[in-house]
Amino acid sequence: MTKKTFLHDEQIKLGARMIEFAGWMMPVQYSSIIDEHKTVRENVGLFDVSHMGEVYVYGKDSLAFLNKLVPQDVSRLTDSKAIYCQLLNKEGGIIDDLIIYKLETEKYLIIVNASRIDEDLNWMVRNSLGFNVEIENQSHNYSLLAIQGPKAVDLMDKMGLKKENQPEFFSIKRAELFNINLFVSRTGYTGEDGFEILVKNEFSELLWNYIVEAGQEFGLKPIGLGARDTLRLEAALHLYGNDLDEKTTPIEAGLSWSVSKTKSADYNGKETIQKQLAQGTDKKLVGLKMLERAIARHEHEVYHNDELIGVVTSGGVSPILNENIALAYVKNNKDICIGSMVQVKIREKFYKAELVKRPFVQKKNKV
Amino acid sequence: MSLTEGILCSKSHEYLREHDGEYTIGLTDYAIEQLGDIVFLELPDVGAEFHKGEVFATIESVKAASEIYMPISGKIVEINESVVDNPEILNESPYEKGWLVKIQSESAAIDSIDLLEYDDYKEEIA
Repeated sequence: MTKKTFLHDEQIKLGARMIEFAGWMMPVQYSSIIDEHKTVRENVGLFDVSHMGEVYVYGKDSLAFLNKLVPQDVSRLTDSKAIYCQLLNKEGGIIDDLIIYKLETEKYLIIVNASRIDEDLNWMVRNSLGFNVEIENQSHNYSLLAIQGPKAVDLMDKMGLKKENQPEFFSIKRAELFNINLFVSRTGYTGEDGFEILVKNEFSELLWNYIVEAGQEFGLKPIGLGARDTLRLEAALHLYGNDLDEKTTPIEAGLSWSVSKTKSADYNGKETIQKQLAQGTDKKLVGLKMLERAIARHEHEVYHNDELIGVVTSGGVSPILNENIALAYVKNNKDICIGSMVQVKIREKFYKAELVKRPFVQKKNKV
Repeated sequence: MSLTEGILCSKSHEYLREHDGEYTIGLTDYAIEQLGDIVFLELPDVGAEFHKGEVFATIESVKAASEIYMPISGKIVEINESVVDNPEILNESPYEKGWLVKIQSESAAIDSIDLLEYDDYKEEIA
């Protein structure tokens, strides 16, 4: 059965058009995807992302357990810090990408993709043998709201979390907004500065409406999944299921920066990852900019000098650049590099594209 | 006169309007609203012929690509170049500036038998 978030009715009131996504009824757009996109780049947008999963890991061996699951070095995390990682299978393929937050010693919060909660939990439980840990799925108890955009900091300040008390980039802290206890983290999926707010379901509607009201003077608008997708694509942030899957490693996905090169602990997929770090990979993720008007989409083929070299995994319009952009996996070959001209096959026709740097739009979220 | 008076609509959301023996084809306001921001349109060449139900054009919104079907058989006699250059015209004016193609058809009478008047179409999709 399709699930509804606790904010479903509030979103309908605001004119949301709902679609099914990962088993949930979610807003795809309110006014217009382009308008919502620009709101987040210029002012501030409010997202309901309560479909995402929240998993707590605690116990004496929680650090050792998490270090077995991901190629990041979780021991580098200090209290209240967060780290972007991937859950890997034994072959180094990505089961999910996620953020681990260290709440305190031996207590971690993991935020995972809605579409992968079951796979993630199964994998965690299977790997927990011999570790003194508890894995607790709390997804059904929490709502997740995101406030993203250049005015997010001012909005949060106005709502009572003063600038000097706001968490730093990739940090989380307990806070109180409108007398509601919650977690605020400085994370997001738009390439903009902003926050994610984890709140108990019973307070989410109240909080949502307070934010909508407080946000008026900052030009805040509710934002649907449509703009969430165009925003993350401009920022070249991966979407699980499109750009990441169990047959793709973080090295192939251009995520080497999130893989520890010095971690001594053994982890799932380490052999493959170390081999790929040393010897390179067969495929690599690249950014494409279309030189003709057609739009490259998921599964369109990519050609170089008449040779099939890869496939588009995400593609669409960039409302900020006013160009069509895409992420694609192509053969890892020296001749295929930034500046190379390729063709994308769209509805049996070939359209020119150029390999360009990622992200397509410079991220402004690092503070 | 209402913009939708005299038009016939298909269940796949194309509209057909007759004028001086030619037929103008476009997309209904309902289709346009469902698509959202339109960013790309691919129209056929003048002279191309299509059967009723065949795909003759592709439209892309920010979200996805969709195909557009011939509501009746016919031959393309004119295409709306301005919507190819500025697809957002479709969002603004689906029945006036946002038409797609004009066709000549020998079989309009019989082909349009399953098309609906606008009010019936609205009822059908409600």
